[in-house]
Amino acid sequence: MSTAIPHYVVVLLQESLPAWGVTGVVSRSADGGLEVRAAAAHLHITRAPAGLPFRWLVGDGGRSRAVSGVPGLLRTVRASIDASYRPIAVRIAALPLAP
Amino acid sequence: MIPIWVLTGFLGSGKTTLLGRLLKSPGFSRTAVIINEFGEIGLDHDLIETSDESFVALQTGCLCCAVRDDLVLTLEDLLRRRAAGMAPPFERVVIETSGLADPAPILHALMLGPSFVGQFVVAGVVTTVDAVNGWRTLDHHPEAIKQVAVADRLLLTKTDLLEMPASGLTARLAALNPAARLLSASFGDVEANRLFDLACEAKAPAELARWLTVRALGEAAQHGHVHDAEIASIAIVRERPMHAVGLTLLLEVLAEHCGGDLLRLKGLVNIAECPQRPAVIHGVQHVFHPPAWLDRWPSQDRRSRLVLIGRNLRQAWIEALLTALETEVSELDGGATKLAATGED
Repeated sequence: MSTAIPHYVVVLLQESLPAWGVTGVVSRSADGGLEVRAAAAHLHITRAPAGLPFRWLVGDGGRSRAVSGVPGLLRTVRASIDASYRPIAVRIAALPLAP
Repeated sequence: MIPIWVLTGFLGSGKTTLLGRLLKSPGFSRTAVIINEFGEIGLDHDLIETSDESFVALQTGCLCCAVRDDLVLTLEDLLRRRAAGMAPPFERVVIETSGLADPAPILHALMLGPSFVGQFVVAGVVTTVDAVNGWRTLDHHPEAIKQVAVADRLLLTKTDLLEMPASGLTARLAALNPAARLLSASFGDVEANRLFDLACEAKAPAELARWLTVRALGEAAQHGHVHDAEIASIAIVRERPMHAVGLTLLLEVLAEHCGGDLLRLKGLVNIAECPQRPAVIHGVQHVFHPPAWLDRWPSQDRRSRLVLIGRNLRQAWIEALLTALETEVSELDGGATKLAATGED
């Protein structure tokens, strides 16, 4: 499996910053990961190693957080770069698969 | 189920006059009316002549912030009285909010009332707009803009006082909420069933189609339109059916990141797991109705269509979000999708 962050994640994060009203830059790093620079934060996003029940790792300074999918990735990135963000524990009940 | 309509509109926009007229019309019979008045001394209910025992006035607080519990208790009490034969067998409930009310918390209370399940259904929001003073009201009162933005039906009142057509105002209303049906009334005169019909809106394909085929699916499908107070309407169209878990995650992320800025969301979705019956989704801010399933597709068009109205929403972000979620769900197809559905990290 490629270690590069897929394009759809790049686009999503690039669109997320203006959607959140945050000024910053999203760019690819030499290791195939992503750099997010906004406010005083400098995040480094990579794929989680194979075998772990996570999809992405978000590095912030010396700390790294593992997230299992796009919702968790957005929550973690925004919490790091948007001082006005107040995470709320919203859980939508899974849509029934049949009427 | 008994449809509940919320009647809102800014101070002086003609809500009470409208109700006063409707209560005298045969088409409005079998309707329970709840009036919310803000202030220690309520006046509005005295301005409406009725002897109907299903008429209730809620006083001393604004529905949207102080008396939501009272509203729920009142509705439960109405149901009990109806079942016991102590109230007329009403077939519809209309709740008139105070003029300064934010309709969203009221809708939340109605959508989340656990005792209502299977008994009441939120049919929609009717917002009155003063044809003479509406433009100025929208300029100066953000509450009025929100009342317009969440509406299913907009009623232009006092049109008898106009010296010339209110085309500028109607264009502004259409820009603020392209999905709402625009009606007009003079002297509060409008047919009850045109405003507060007895059909459950989520099950009425024609009503839903209005939401899903307005300009939002035309030029706005390419880019969101920004209007008053940064309120935009956005349309999302997907040719391919969506996985149920993808839709669930989309709603979760929208609720989490847009919160109060997402004023309304409606959609007709082709769920990959049940493609023969479209799912109707409906949300106000961070609260979503359980999906309603139509018996069949209302037309040959089987694309998934979502319309969002909100403040500072960006079409490009929502499109990118949906693409990312759909792609990730496809990649995780299998048992791992269950983990992603929790959103845990």
